[in-house]
Parts: sequence; structure tokens; C-alpha cells
Amino acid sequence: MDRPIAYDKLAREDRFVRMRARDVGELKVEQGLPPFPDLASRESIRERVHGIMVGELQAMEGAGRTVYDFPDAPWEFTMDMARQVWDESRHVETYLGLLEHLGGRVGEFPESTILWRCACAEDAAARVAGVNRGLEGLACDVFNQLIHIAQKIGDPIIEKAVDYVLADEITHVRMGSRWLNELTRGDAERRRKAIEFQETIDERFNLGGSRQDGHHELVPISIAKEARKLAGFTDEEIERLVKSTQRSQVY
Amino acid sequence: MSSQRLSGHLSVDDSARRIRNYRYAEERLMRVLGGWIALTPELPAKLLFGRHVWDCAQHADLWGRRLPELRAAAHESAPANDAMVAFTEMLESPEGPRQTLERIVGVYGVLKPHLVTIYARHLASTNAVYEPPTRRILVRCLEEERRHAAAGAIVLDRLARDAAARARVADWERRLLTVLEKAGGVTGDATAPLVDPAVLGVTPEVVAPDLVQVPPDFDPAALPADLAAAVDALRKSLESGDDADAAAWIEPAARDALRAAFAPLAGRIAGTRVVGLAAIGRQQMVKLRIESPRAIGFVQLRWTQTASGWRIAAGDLVSTEPVSAAP
Repeated sequence: MDRPIAYDKLAREDRFVRMRARDVGELKVEQGLPPFPDLASRESIRERVHGIMVGELQAMEGAGRTVYDFPDAPWEFTMDMARQVWDESRHVETYLGLLEHLGGRVGEFPESTILWRCACAEDAAARVAGVNRGLEGLACDVFNQLIHIAQKIGDPIIEKAVDYVLADEITHVRMGSRWLNELTRGDAERRRKAIEFQETIDERFNLGGSRQDGHHELVPISIAKEARKLAGFTDEEIERLVKSTQRSQVY
Repeated sequence: MSSQRLSGHLSVDDSARRIRNYRYAEERLMRVLGGWIALTPELPAKLLFGRHVWDCAQHADLWGRRLPELRAAAHESAPANDAMVAFTEMLESPEGPRQTLERIVGVYGVLKPHLVTIYARHLASTNAVYEPPTRRILVRCLEEERRHAAAGAIVLDRLARDAAARARVADWERRLLTVLEKAGGVTGDATAPLVDPAVLGVTPEVVAPDLVQVPPDFDPAALPADLAAAVDALRKSLESGDDADAAAWIEPAARDALRAAFAPLAGRIAGTRVVGLAAIGRQQMVKLRIESPRAIGFVQLRWTQTASGWRIAAGDLVSTEPVSAAP
């Protein structure tokens, strides 16, 4: 088996429709719709849940590749990644259940492969920075928002299930924080590149600029500062993220 | 205490050697299952592998941490011999999207049942006075590997739907077992049978945590009636070779691009099937499987509502494969 494998080797059942996130967003804007689900209706929540489900699928696949791709990495790193595979498989099951709970079906919306592409970075440090800290950090923000919406609409099934997933995500971000430091110890250049990769992700994948600093009631997606601190983000990093969202491009 | 209670089969050094062999097998399983998840299309298999990577990692970890207690270096994996390396390379070789059955049977029909057999024999021969640390690990690994093998058998049964698929499974299983026999099993000294069905049985309740309830296959009834009628008409045009009629379903601005996209499937279309449907706002992306005599292609057609009804606004050929490779 190649180490790593090419992006386009990602295997899916025929029922999945794969598209670029940018193309989907543009087609929706052309129809006068928001580029990303605004969670204002049950169908919109269903679309968000479907997006998260495929993201969890890709997170499981990415962590699995990391277990395979780096046989010489520290054993404890491999153990953390193996644990993450198991966690993500439960998250997929959770979101499959939530999709059913919302009356949806697998493949109902197109899949984009943003997370998977980040998970194909050649350096293990870049993968944990980009996926664990960048994208799973974004997941913390998104899940926090979903829990808030579930509370507002009185849906304890979504609220409780997503809260457990959020707890796992914080653990994954924490793993990313730990391994970014340990894998790059004594190698400033490798660390710089990994952090740069993460910052690129923070800036580019920002749900159309809807992730902002502020209370849930005031902004579309609130940056989950407390969750991020629990996960090992410093105040300075959170401040930098807030600033980056203010100049963020769509997607 | 009778001296009989202190008799044993393995020396400390021999025990450490076997544990390095076990760790080799569990570590290889952990890594290959992890690597295969992305390469495996079918959700039941993908999620089965995802469930078991962590268990195999813990088994390898337990064995690796036992080693220094036996005067050996921690966390060392070692194959019993070169033939065992050849076996694992063969086990890991099916990585194509249409080789899921081989992947499942290799791990769940051969290596894991073999590990259950070997762990059970080892457990039966360990000394209860001075080997309890090894026994505890064996008990855990034995129980979990037995559960894994049973879960894998259920998924395999679900995916190997016809006689040809079952023949493929049987053939790959036989070939792998032959190579494993040459190696003398994971420990290099295992006697026949390498897989003992008598130690494999588990109840369905024990297996349940390893199996994710995956949703049923795509149902074309998901298409709204008016869109289904339009798609069916397009399919009939394609299957009858009526290009002009097929083109009438395509917006004029998209016709050239679609003609180019379909070019690799040029020639008589033997059959078509709707395999997916995804919403993009009010538009619908319909995924079609198109069979021509030599190739199977998948196209994604974006349908939009116009004054004349549903029409194709754009489309792409997303993949093709030779008929011989397709299921």
C-alpha cells in the first residue's frame, strides 16, 4: 500500500455524490440561497448534520491513514491516532442516527472532501496541526452552535448526542496540540510549516465567514473559546483565529 | 503445594519470543485496518475496520508492555520467520476498491480466527501460578479477537451476495491459509489446524457492539415523481441510442460539454441505473451508472427546473472502470 495514498483513492459507495464545496456554495447562491446551511429550518439542520457525518467519515479515514502512513512515529502517537479512529467511527454512527432522526438519508447532499485532503498532508506534524487543531477546532465551534440550536428548538436527542461528540473533539484537538509540540521539538522549520498549514486551514475553511467572535445569539457561528482553551489553544492563538475570521474568504 | 502446579511449558525467553510474534500480528492488523478504511467503499466494512483499529492497538500495546517484565525490550514486534512476513504482505495486498471481500476474509476469516486458536492454546498451557500477567492479556485478546472474527463473518456474509463472490472468498481464504501454514502460523511452530472452529463461537449479543447499523442501499424512489419521469425518459433515450431525444433533456448551453464528458463511454449503452441523488438547493444532482460493452461509467447530472420541466444544466463523468473490474 502506498504511503500516503493519492487524494482520489478515497473510496465511497455509489450513492455518494462528490462535489467541490465551492461549486455547491456558488450554485446555492445563484438560487438566492445561503451558501452554507443557516440552521433556520429542519431541512437546513439536516443538511448540516449530513455534512458533519461525511466529515466524521473522512476524519476516521484520515486518522486510519495516519496509523498506517507513519510506522516510525512514536508509539504513543500511533495509539492516540488509533483511539481517534475508534472515536470517529462512533461519531459516524451518531450522525447516521441523527440523520435518520431528522428524516434524512445518506447521500442526500453532495460530499466535499476538504477534510480528507488535509488528512493527506505528507508530514505527520502537519496532519495533526491541520486536521486535529484546525478542522477539529472548527468542529468544536460548529458542534457548540448545533447544541445551542438543539436547546432552542427543544431537541434533547441532538443536544445530548452532539455534546458527547464535542467532548471527544476537544480530546482530539488536545492530542493535536500535544503532538504538534512533540513531533516538532527541536525542528523549528518543521513546526513553522505545520502551524502555517493549520493557519491556512483556519482562514480558508471558515464556513463563508460565518464563524465569528461573539455570543450565539449575535453571530452565526460563535468561536468556542472555552472548548478551545480546554483543548490546549492559548489565548494568543484564539485571538489570532478571531482576527483571521475577520478577513476570511468564503469557504 | 504440589510440584505439579509449578510445571510449565515455556521458558521466560520463549514466552517473550511468542509475545513479540503476537505483537507483530496485532500491530500489522492495526496498521492495515487503519490504512484500508479510506480504500474501502462499503460502509459496513469501513465502519467494521474503524471499530477494530483501537482494539488491535491496545492488544499490541498490552503485549509490548509485558515484554520488559520478561527481561526483553519493550514494544518490540517480531515476525516468527520470513514466511510470516510473506503471509502479512499477501494479506495486505488487496487494496483496490473492488477487493473488499478479500480484505475482510483475510483479516476476519484467516488471521483473527488463527489468533483466537493460538491464544486459546497458549492460555490452556500457561502456568496459573507464575504466568497470570500473560494469562490476563491472553484472556482479553482472546475474547476480543473472537468477537471481531464473528463480526467480520456477519459483514462478509452480507457483502458476499452471490455464488461468484462466495467463490472468490473461498479461494482467497484457501490461498492465505496455505501461506500461513508454510510459516507455521504466527508463532512459527503452530500445528494444524491453524484455525480451530471449536474455539470461535460467540453469541450475537457479544458481537453487537462491533456492528454499526448502516442505512439501507439507495432507493430510486427518493426521486420526486416528476424528476423520476424525466430521468427515466433520458435513460430510455440513452439505452435505445436515440441521441437527439437524449439531447432534448439537456439545456442547449450544456450539450457540448456533456457530449465531451460522455465520450469515453461512446458506443452502445447496454444499461443505466440511478444510484444516487443529492440536493443542491432546489436543484438535484442525479448519479447514473452507465454500462457500455467495455466500460462502466458513473455520471453526475445536475437537473434544474425550467419552464419546460426538469432539464440537465450540467454534468460530469466522474469515473469509469473496465467491465471486468465492476461488480
